[in-house]
Amino acid sequence: METLRKHLEKLRKIERKKHHPLIHKIHKKHKISKKTLFYVKEYGPHTHVPRTIIKESIKILLMASIISSFGGFALEYIKTIFVSILPLIILLPTLNDMIGDYGTIISSRFSTMLHENKINKKWWLNKELKKLLIQIMIVSLLTAILSVLGSVLIASFYENITSLILLKTLAITVIDVMLLVSILFITAIIAGLYVYRKEEDPNNFLIPITTSVADFGNMIILAVLIILFF
Amino acid sequence: MGVFDKSFWEIFSSQLVSIVGGMIAGTILAAYTEKLLMIPGMLILIPGFLEMRNSISGSFASRLSSGLFLGVIKPNRIETKIIKGNLSASFFLAIVTSLSLGIIAFLFSYIIFHVFIFKIIFLSLIAGIIANAVELPLTLFATVYIFKKGHDPNNIIGPFVTSTGDIISILSLLLTLLIL
Repeated sequence: METLRKHLEKLRKIERKKHHPLIHKIHKKHKISKKTLFYVKEYGPHTHVPRTIIKESIKILLMASIISSFGGFALEYIKTIFVSILPLIILLPTLNDMIGDYGTIISSRFSTMLHENKINKKWWLNKELKKLLIQIMIVSLLTAILSVLGSVLIASFYENITSLILLKTLAITVIDVMLLVSILFITAIIAGLYVYRKEEDPNNFLIPITTSVADFGNMIILAVLIILFF
Repeated sequence: MGVFDKSFWEIFSSQLVSIVGGMIAGTILAAYTEKLLMIPGMLILIPGFLEMRNSISGSFASRLSSGLFLGVIKPNRIETKIIKGNLSASFFLAIVTSLSLGIIAFLFSYIIFHVFIFKIIFLSLIAGIIANAVELPLTLFATVYIFKKGHDPNNIIGPFVTSTGDIISILSLLLTLLIL
């Protein structure tokens, strides 16, 4: 315990910007996750907390805002049709959340698999990865159906919703979600393997990448499907 | 390969919580379509505006959780340098992001649709300030409360931030519309 404390104190004193081998050493010796050790180093006594957070987050936040706005632009383009389909308006925040959440889950789980050396060159044969794909596909299908039913039910209090609108909304949502989950998987695998080969932590890259792809892709695919179906 | 294991039900249940929040936000959005969505550029603004609180409050909660587990943050002492620093940084990021989102929506509307809607910049900025003034302290207290109750905030706070954030964001946009 005393050795651990000494090691952690030493880590806290290291200049923030440096990637220090001590992290790896403590991680191996004391079985403390690299994320935890990174936190100890990142917010040590010599750091200015707000400046550190702002400096590290601002670029990715601005990039995410621009990407989301590009996606929103697609919806603005078909605004007249979009605002006339009440269940889709009700679904908009839910869809936004769902797809983003799947991006986060896929990224963090794939990053962990990479760190645990479970992914080799023939990643498509990996049972855990296959299981994750099936799980996410089933959850996304179920939640898509449930959210469509919920939105149609709520919309029916405001206006008469025909079975055709119900079916079209269901088709749009299911296709959108399934397509995006597949795209997110492919993105996470390609980007994850690339980043990992570069000896960087995939955790720091995959979530921003997949959530941006999810935001942008969701709005674009949604807009295309609305044009096709309505 | 047991697909329906603990992990499956964890993902499924967290998504159900998220759906409920999204549905409430969507219902408010639908009820005020004329006032809110018919504003030019609003659909350019909304996806980014909703996503913003996930990026800011989500990261804020995640940093707090790590600090709580490490013992760097004490659940009974909220007024510390690290929490104040986290709060002020998150709030600053929220202001900058809201402003940027407003400017992007304004520019898109003007360049692509030839609609001059300067108001959307203030709408985004003020709504962002209101939303985060509510959401950030709420996230702080929820994270500490969950931790005190012996749960891992990392597993619970995500859907919490998503659901409450959606509702607060839409309500703050409506409130700002009333102010402007």
